[in-house]
Amino acid sequence: MTAADSGALPTIDPREAGTQLRSGLWKTINERYPGAMIRKDSFVPQARLANSLSQSRLVMISSCGVHLKTDEPLDVCHPFGDFRFLRVPSSAKHEDLIIHQLKYPHDDADLDINVIFPIERLQELCEEGVLGGLTPNFFSFIGYNMDPDKFERTVAADIAQAVVEKEHADCALLAPA
Amino acid sequence: MSVAYLRGAVARGDLEKVIRFVRLHLGDGNEAVGKDEVDRSWVEAVKILLREEPVDRKFIAGVLEKDESTLALLLFHLHFYLIRKSGRWIHDGSR
Repeated sequence: MTAADSGALPTIDPREAGTQLRSGLWKTINERYPGAMIRKDSFVPQARLANSLSQSRLVMISSCGVHLKTDEPLDVCHPFGDFRFLRVPSSAKHEDLIIHQLKYPHDDADLDINVIFPIERLQELCEEGVLGGLTPNFFSFIGYNMDPDKFERTVAADIAQAVVEKEHADCALLAPA
Repeated sequence: MSVAYLRGAVARGDLEKVIRFVRLHLGDGNEAVGKDEVDRSWVEAVKILLREEPVDRKFIAGVLEKDESTLALLLFHLHFYLIRKSGRWIHDGSR
């Protein structure tokens, strides 16, 4: 149990104190967030890869909220979440990117974006020939979301459409945050 | 909690569930912390006003002419702004 779980308030920034991971939160998520667990009865079957990875173009889709520093950030304050997504050029480097999020610790990812959004590792795999290529753009959105049905209709559908029709991806790496 | 859960609570007039959601959201999953966060943002607003600096009431009047949804979201933004100003930041992400 952490100070936050007991109701006692930390006197210093929990990020600097190293107490930001509140294990009690996850153990009691159903009790604390009644109605939070989403059940889904319909599934889209996974598609088999038509070609080997070395002949395939990969797209990365992440809920980590990473975006170009030059982009207007997504809305982290909205209590229901932000039903938009951002494109991240697959050629971007660590120094081009920033994480805008309230709901998970990203101190380590601030030092190396590849911890959560392995964009430079994928670029290296392309150079080595392990991957056939990367789509021009990757996709990023904020994982905190209170309306999964709306999310499916908007963000998920729009990304899926862009992945197929504009990015022409053969396979996708889904990177949760 | 989901939006559907909150809509049901509002339809039944079960405001306790909505209050709990707000506190859980602002407290990053801890209701007691969330309640304190709400109090803190109001305290911070009072502390700022105690400086008795000039204010732009014309700007405020213009803002209040915006639609209700924009204003409601603005309240959440102002909350996080004031919490940042308070110097205490409990959230795991961006400061």
